[in-house]
Amino acid sequence: MHKAAQRRIIIPFLIPALALLGVFFLYPLVKTVDLSLNEFSRTGTMRFVGLDQYRLLAGDPDFFNSLKNTFLITLIGSGMLFPPAMAIAWALSQRIHGERFFRFVVFAPVVLSVAVVSLMWKFLYHPTLGLINPALKSMGLGALAKTWLGDPATALAAVTFVSVWHGIGIWIVLLCAGFERLPTDVLQAARIDGAGEWRVFRSIMLPMMRDLLRMLAILWVVQSLQSFAFVYILTGGGPFGSTDTVGTLMYRIAFDRADFGYAAAIGVVLVAVMLAAAKILDKVMKRDDLQY
Amino acid sequence: MKITRTLLAGSVVVLSLALAACGGGGGSGESAAKPPDAKSWQQDVKGGPIEVGVLPAAGTRSLKFLEEVAAGIEKDHPGADLKMTFANTKARPALEQRWRAGDGLDVDYTMFDGTNEALLEWADSGALLDLKPYLDQVDTTTGKPWLDQFSPAVLQFMQHPSTKKIYGVPSELSLQVLFYNAGLFKKHGITPPATWDDLTAAADRFKAAGVDPIAVTGLFEPYMGMWSDNIWLRTVGYDKVHDVLTEGKGNITDDPGFLKGLEMLQGLRDKNAFLKGFEGTDFTAAQAQFFQGKAGMILMGSWLVSEMADVIPKDFELGVLQFPAVTGGTGDQASMLATAQLMSVSAKSANIPLSLEWIRRVTSVETQTRRAGEIGEVSAVKGVSSPPGLPGISDVVAKADRLQASYYGLLSSKAKDVVYPEIAKLLFGKQDARQTLDSLDKGLRRVHGN
Repeated sequence: MHKAAQRRIIIPFLIPALALLGVFFLYPLVKTVDLSLNEFSRTGTMRFVGLDQYRLLAGDPDFFNSLKNTFLITLIGSGMLFPPAMAIAWALSQRIHGERFFRFVVFAPVVLSVAVVSLMWKFLYHPTLGLINPALKSMGLGALAKTWLGDPATALAAVTFVSVWHGIGIWIVLLCAGFERLPTDVLQAARIDGAGEWRVFRSIMLPMMRDLLRMLAILWVVQSLQSFAFVYILTGGGPFGSTDTVGTLMYRIAFDRADFGYAAAIGVVLVAVMLAAAKILDKVMKRDDLQY
Repeated sequence: MKITRTLLAGSVVVLSLALAACGGGGGSGESAAKPPDAKSWQQDVKGGPIEVGVLPAAGTRSLKFLEEVAAGIEKDHPGADLKMTFANTKARPALEQRWRAGDGLDVDYTMFDGTNEALLEWADSGALLDLKPYLDQVDTTTGKPWLDQFSPAVLQFMQHPSTKKIYGVPSELSLQVLFYNAGLFKKHGITPPATWDDLTAAADRFKAAGVDPIAVTGLFEPYMGMWSDNIWLRTVGYDKVHDVLTEGKGNITDDPGFLKGLEMLQGLRDKNAFLKGFEGTDFTAAQAQFFQGKAGMILMGSWLVSEMADVIPKDFELGVLQFPAVTGGTGDQASMLATAQLMSVSAKSANIPLSLEWIRRVTSVETQTRRAGEIGEVSAVKGVSSPPGLPGISDVVAKADRLQASYYGLLSSKAKDVVYPEIAKLLFGKQDARQTLDSLDKGLRRVHGN
């Protein structure tokens, strides 16, 4: 009786959240599915075509290329993001001189707009006018100089690097919070027992932060599967589709060609892919909860 | 607990479905305003707000010029309030969405092009005002119909191909021309190229002198595509290229001129005729490098001069040429690829007379002459001299027997994602001419289903 009353009390408190979820997630999702079943003219009139857009999508090499690139960004980006973020967060969790200054430095790019960061890196990457190639040449590493954004072999990694450079501060802050939450008595005990810092990090800190890392990994996957702005500004999906992501393809189809039905179908598939990826990652990384 | 969860999930689904049902389709369903009488519209011009689309970006001299024109109208018509809205490429998605919702600008660009099948829909749906009745009226200043003021070469862009109604009036012309650094040509004793053989010879001479012959961007595929577009114009001809690429009528393997054009482009590439590092160079940087004397030529729209006005050195000697003719080419040797920047009026505008007055004022001989002189825009109005910053452009246009639509209308076609990436691969050295043709053939057959 008491529990049933408790449940009834919860419902009014959930309504605002449910309303927001309905308006900003479920309604657009349902509407997108609705749009994907239609064919649009440039002036916005639509004609119901059922699952035709999905059938077209299944045979569209541009879509599969963009999906492949999107997953590559996720994969390459996780390699560029997590090891340095972890290392920097670990370093910042030590007692070091000028810690606040370093925290400011690593967080500073986060406050810049995507457009500003993209334009700045577009210049830095420029093969002859930029700063990277001349710097490499002056260090005797001229062989490493590339046309970074213009070479399909390097463009995707170059764009991903910019995205990671821009956002790494957030991940470092989250990881710093994770390090600070760790129980000092456990870490102290390990050190007294003779464990070195690397052993403490590997055998105690990492396992204790597993839940946080799982959440961050899921967040990264979801965020990078939606890659759009950096790619759009830096390369526009080029050279010849080597950096085209699902986001840029969807934008081009919707707004260059005014083909909203097809773009909506791509959006629906992307949502399904993101949900599946997040679920799989959650399952794979899930371990018993650690209480501390 | 299970019941509560089911209840909550059900509520959310019902809520979202209800919202979806309330969403409805596009369009506001507003009825069109009654257009003013064609014979007396100038007497009907009255004050009030209108929103006009403009192509120049904020902070440019070009925009300042248009603001002065607007100020003149506001002074002459008390209460008139002309709001300028940026209507160039990057703003188009949002503006088109406004049109779909029945809230289009009173005067806007890129809503119509009689040579582009994909852009006839707005006119066909009744969203645009038919301007022909107004253009047919005799202009009091010239004593001739307003329409006669425009060069006959641009009529094809203004006019609907089947109904012959007019839905756009050109504020300026954008021509694809070969710009060259006349000072650099003189310094190395090179003759400006009139034919393809001249062009390749000039490229050899520049290479020997240690100068990159041609500036091009590798980060925007349609600008690389200007090269194949113009070559095919000469080796195949506009109609055939347009049919094959944009309309899917016939195949790219049907006419040997397509392969010949790709081989010519490959020839330039193999000579290393393009700017060093062009693959990673943005178009602004490529254009700047041309004006810094790091390249001899650049194939670009005639907007180049007004766009780069702030970075062109004062002593820079600019030359303008039509794209070189191809000896033995079976296409159009004298025609040019061009775009007329067309202003259209919303049929739903609350103040059509004031919108027409804006168009009339912008396209008047007086305004166009000032605009050519001060901003460097090429006019589609007869009797307006060439911009001084573009020496020889009027000769170039006069020599052209026909203006043809830039990009063959590909930019609003799904074939765009097939054609220009393959041309980029050719320029980047990732494939040769034959492989490019095969890939184009495969891709075009896929998107056109032929």
